[in-house]
Amino acid sequence: MESTLDIFVKAIFSENMIFAYFLGMCSYLAVSKTVKTAVGLGAAVIFVLTVTVPVNFLLENYVLKAGALEWLGAEYAELDLSFLSFIMYIAVVASIVQLVEMLVEKFAPALYGALGIFLPLIAVNCSILGGALFMQERQYSTILDATAFSLGSGIGWFIAIVAIAAIREKLRYSNVPGPLRGLGITFIVTGLMGMAFMSFMGIKYGEEAPSEDVETVTTMIDTNKENNIN
Amino acid sequence: MSADKKSSEPLFSKKNKKLITDPLTDNNPVTIQVLGICSALAITVQVNQAIVMSMSVLFVIIMGNWIVSMLRNLIPSRIRIIVQLLVVASLVIIVDQVLAAFLPDLSAKLSVFVGLIITNCIIMGRLEAFAMANKPWPSILDGFGNGLGYGAILILVAVFRELFGSGTLMGFPIFGNALPGEESGLYAMGYQNNNLMILPPMALIIVGVIIWVQRSRNKALIEEH
Amino acid sequence: MALNKESNGFTFGFAIVLVVVLGVILASLAEGLKPLKEKNVRVKKQIDILSAMMDVEKEGIDRSNAIEEFPKYVDLSEAVILNNVGEEVSKGKAAFEVDIKKEYRDKNLKEEDKKFPLFIARDKEKNTRYIIPVVGKGLWGPIWGYICLEEDMKTILGVSFDHKTETPGLGAEINKPFFMDRWKDSEISDSLGNFQKYEVVKDNSGSAYPSKVDGITGGTITSKGVEEMVNRSLQIYSNYFKNLNSK
Repeated sequence: MESTLDIFVKAIFSENMIFAYFLGMCSYLAVSKTVKTAVGLGAAVIFVLTVTVPVNFLLENYVLKAGALEWLGAEYAELDLSFLSFIMYIAVVASIVQLVEMLVEKFAPALYGALGIFLPLIAVNCSILGGALFMQERQYSTILDATAFSLGSGIGWFIAIVAIAAIREKLRYSNVPGPLRGLGITFIVTGLMGMAFMSFMGIKYGEEAPSEDVETVTTMIDTNKENNIN
Repeated sequence: MSADKKSSEPLFSKKNKKLITDPLTDNNPVTIQVLGICSALAITVQVNQAIVMSMSVLFVIIMGNWIVSMLRNLIPSRIRIIVQLLVVASLVIIVDQVLAAFLPDLSAKLSVFVGLIITNCIIMGRLEAFAMANKPWPSILDGFGNGLGYGAILILVAVFRELFGSGTLMGFPIFGNALPGEESGLYAMGYQNNNLMILPPMALIIVGVIIWVQRSRNKALIEEH
Repeated sequence: MALNKESNGFTFGFAIVLVVVLGVILASLAEGLKPLKEKNVRVKKQIDILSAMMDVEKEGIDRSNAIEEFPKYVDLSEAVILNNVGEEVSKGKAAFEVDIKKEYRDKNLKEEDKKFPLFIARDKEKNTRYIIPVVGKGLWGPIWGYICLEEDMKTILGVSFDHKTETPGLGAEINKPFFMDRWKDSEISDSLGNFQKYEVVKDNSGSAYPSKVDGITGGTITSKGVEEMVNRSLQIYSNYFKNLNSK
């Protein structure tokens, strides 16, 4: 089975929240005009993801999942509250964000100055809820795996937004065709970055992964015709 | 809603029509307002998925707008965001449950992206910006318009990706049979599907191109740096 | 009396009423749709099992009639549960309920506690068929499938593989007929009944050897995942078949 380290590395690169799943695109596009703000939002996402996913993991495994309430007594073993999971996750995310905001403001004013304005934005950032939903779907078996996944996803998101912000800063000096300026070119550049990130799929995860060559973007493009079936 | 009908304004007045048509073109939620992109891209590999996703969003945004608009004079302002989230999350759960019960195969393919409708910024954005301040009927129209505008982009992207990526539309082959050994149509002449279309990055590039086309036609939308 | 909607009392009252109303609606909906959803899961599993043995589409089996059709082919009272060395643990309907995907993923479950179901089916001509569920991982996520053996307990009659999130056009092709057909007529054990490992190869030499199968071009990791999945599972089951035959 996948080791914790695999999960972590995979979450950063080949299953990058932005490039593979497009999660958190709204704030990714809106807050990537300068590197400075991008770093702030990226750091806030890492922080919130790493806090909320483990909490949601506990919630999922000890409250929501079918049979999760067994610890309350045998008569609760039959209960399946998983239909409530969306609402519980979003509630947890919203309240943790609020809580974190208050705590940071009180105990770390400097950090608050840096992250403060981004925290409220994050409650509705798809990558946070996405983290919780992927955790549920992939059914990580230990809280350590879930944490590794959330930390990795956060770092992946951070890398993505800082990279695009740096590119956009440079793009300002290039002669982009009028209608493409701003949003259009950002989409296309993100697409190109996504292709670059796809080569990370070649990283060998786990011990039973093959030792020879790997799936890469090149082989994808000129896939042998005989296998090219829809 | 009866109160609105009695009012002097006709149901489909010019203003109300604009509520529907604007989001389809010059105020499109995806390409102009840059909202709701998260879910817009991941499920556009097949037209079927895009249609089901659009319908789900349409349902959630119309119902959400309507409910929040009905409650707008009751919702305490301090907890209004959480109330909106609760309403949206409940609607999404309804959609998810119904899909799982009646369209199990599609529901499995959409996986987490149904749940992510909750954080689709279009929905929260419209609830906060429109439904909190308007009567139910215009809110429904606004939801309908924005849902359609979102769906239009989704389906457009999906048409490109499915047609060129797998050579099918809604699962029906368009360019002939691609099975090795029994190729027909374009495939017999050496045509190949573009596998890159199916991969995530192409979705972004297609949206980029759509924005390009739209802004070339309407110069007013061009951004300054 | 005008309500002060910003008062604490009203805010709490509003929140409680809203939560109760939504809770009741959602709970009743979930409860109401539960039988349907559970049926969907069972039906999907039944169709998957049958599709390893035959062309379910040709036979006209789909979601609407699988519940009636399934027992015509598979008698669940004959089904067996094996342990991880291929010894029979129990017999009967419980085999259908084993969730091997969950057990495969569960790091806390000991190897020797894992259960391996084997379904025994009869086709139209009443030939005995053995259907083995397999599960493993591809490049992106889980892959799974069913392998159907002929009466001799070693020749593969057919397989059905599926995946969750493999790369479209590459790894995702494992559930396409052209790939699944390559497994047909290969043998899982030699004449003495000893298990022989499968190899998923890339040089298109697969059709020349009984235990080699051509992989998917560009889908190397997924193909290797299939190889690992098939070998790990078949090893266990071939032990069982060997002991069964030597008795």
